[in-house]
Formats: sequence, C-alpha cells, structure tokens
Amino acid sequence: MSIWLTYAGMAAVTYAARAIPLLLLRNDPPAWLALWLKYVPPAVFTALIVPAVVTQMGDHGRVLQLGPAVGAAVVGALVAWRTENAIVTVGLGMAAFWLIRLVVG
Amino acid sequence: MSRWATIRQGFLATLVVWPGVAPFGMVYAVSALSAGLSFWETLGMSLIVFAGASQFTAVGMFGSGAHPFSIIATTAIINARHLLLAASTASYIRKSPTWLRALVAFQLTDETYAVGVQRFTQHGGDAWFQLGSNLSLYFVWATSTIIGSLLGALIPNPAALGLDLIFPLTFIAFTVPMLRDRVNLVLALLAAIISVATALVLPGSWYVLTAGILASAVGAWLAQRQQLAPKEPINENS
Repeated sequence: MSIWLTYAGMAAVTYAARAIPLLLLRNDPPAWLALWLKYVPPAVFTALIVPAVVTQMGDHGRVLQLGPAVGAAVVGALVAWRTENAIVTVGLGMAAFWLIRLVVG
Repeated sequence: MSRWATIRQGFLATLVVWPGVAPFGMVYAVSALSAGLSFWETLGMSLIVFAGASQFTAVGMFGSGAHPFSIIATTAIINARHLLLAASTASYIRKSPTWLRALVAFQLTDETYAVGVQRFTQHGGDAWFQLGSNLSLYFVWATSTIIGSLLGALIPNPAALGLDLIFPLTFIAFTVPMLRDRVNLVLALLAAIISVATALVLPGSWYVLTAGILASAVGAWLAQRQQLAPKEPINENS
C-alpha cells in the first residue's frame, strides 16, 4: 500500500474522531449533559498537563519520572495564578526548568 | 463583527501557542526525512493528517517497517481523545451550519480547542473564531514542517533542551485561572490522579479520555449538589 493511502487512513480515523461529535450533537443537550460538558475543559486541560510533567515514554510505555519538569510546572502554576499571562508563565517556567537542571545536574 | 474579523481574531489569539508547536513541527520534519520519507511525503502528512503526536508515532513506525493498518489503528488510538474535545466544542457551536462544523472538525487540536474554549466560556460560542484558530495552527504546523525540512540537521533536539515543557506550561497558563473555586479544584486534582494512573497502564492518549470524562462528571455532580444544597449556614448538628 502506498504511503499516501496510509495517510488517507490516518486522516480518516482522525477526522472521524473530530467530526462525529461536532456533527451529531446539534440539538439542545439535556441539562445534565450540558453541565457535564461545561466541566470537560478543566478536566481535559489537567489531563494534558500532569502526565506530560510527571511521566516519560519508556521502552514499555509511560513511566513515572519526577524531574526538573515538576519544579518548573509548580513555578508555572504560581505565575499563572498571579499573572494569568501565558507568555510570562511559559518564560518563567522554562527559566525555572533550566535553573533546576543546572543546579541538580 | 464581520466573519473575517472573527476569523482574524481566532487566528491571532492562537499566536500564544505557536512557540510550543513550531519546534516540534521542525523536529517532526527532521525525523520524517531521516526515516526515509521524501520532502513531499513529510509535508503531505502534516497537511493531510495534521495531528502532531500521531505523526511522530507514524514516522517511528514507518522507520521500523510497520504494516499500514497498524499505523492507522495506532493513529486512531492516539486521536480518540479528539472525540471529547469535539463534543465539548460542539456544545458551544452547535447552532452553526453543518458545513461549517464539518470544516472546523478538520483541524481541531488540543491547542486550538484550548484557545476556543477560553473564548467561548466568556463570550459565547463562535465557529468562525474556532476556524480562525484552527487555520492559525495549521499554518504554523505546515510552515514549521517546511522550515524543518530545509534546515534539517541544523536544528537541535528540542526535547534535549526541555522545549517539550512549553506544551504543558502553555496549558498551565490556560488552566490555573479556571481553578478559582472548590468544584474546579477538586475536579483538577481528580483529573490529575486519573490521567497519570491511566497513562501508566494504557497506551495512546486514553488518559485524556478517562480523566476528561470521569473528572468532569464528578465536577458536574458536585456543582449540582451545591446548587441543591440549602442556602442557610449549616450550624445544626450533622
């Protein structure tokens, strides 16, 4: 099979995941579902953050890895709490990461 | 506001995630070329598939001669989390025409979902804004793929520099301001525990789905209970 056919398959399964809910959920959702969906963003965001900070890809799946990234994330969280500014949060978080890595080695 | 002005707003609001995305577009290109893909095949995957994590994985699998079906199945597992992002986005833009929602679905990603939802919770849903945000990320992903292909070996490994931290740090900037009440704090704590536990045992990005579905359900349940609770202070025994 050509690589372009593989791409077509990859694009199809990816598009399906993105499109099916967007195309099907078009009426007013029941109140319980609306409330549930309202709390999805902070849950998804947290799930995108925490494993990226405290785990790493090993040879057999993800493993726990508590390194300088954890300190950087804590600094980032404090900065975000105070400033609500993404650029400052990323900048100071990265600075903290490099500093911790420099000190700890 | 005119349609174009809204698209433009979405495009510009997404600049904030460019620094986290561009280095990885470049590295994707370098690793794709070194896995034996041509320039057009490298750029083609960015344009057609447009899903960072699964593109990296596919490159690794192409390099090891994996069967196309296992590459496609792996892509489906990695991108299953988009079901939840799309359901959440749908709750804001479901009044828009079908063709527009079908268009928005092409480029919905973690990053543009975050930019869109931030706007929608404050100003109401707008599919044109989401489209502008999506186009912004599509543009930077394609451009960084081209730059990475041209500069090739000149680019240092961004993971070695710790640049893979930009992604969670950007999301921390989005998330922490949302956690100003007890329901959201409990929800985030729960999402952290569930996502890490799932990430350690299941492959792909199931951890986004498990934590996203379960923690938000608990959040909704807590919010519901708070609404139903009697308003007077609780000072009787029990």
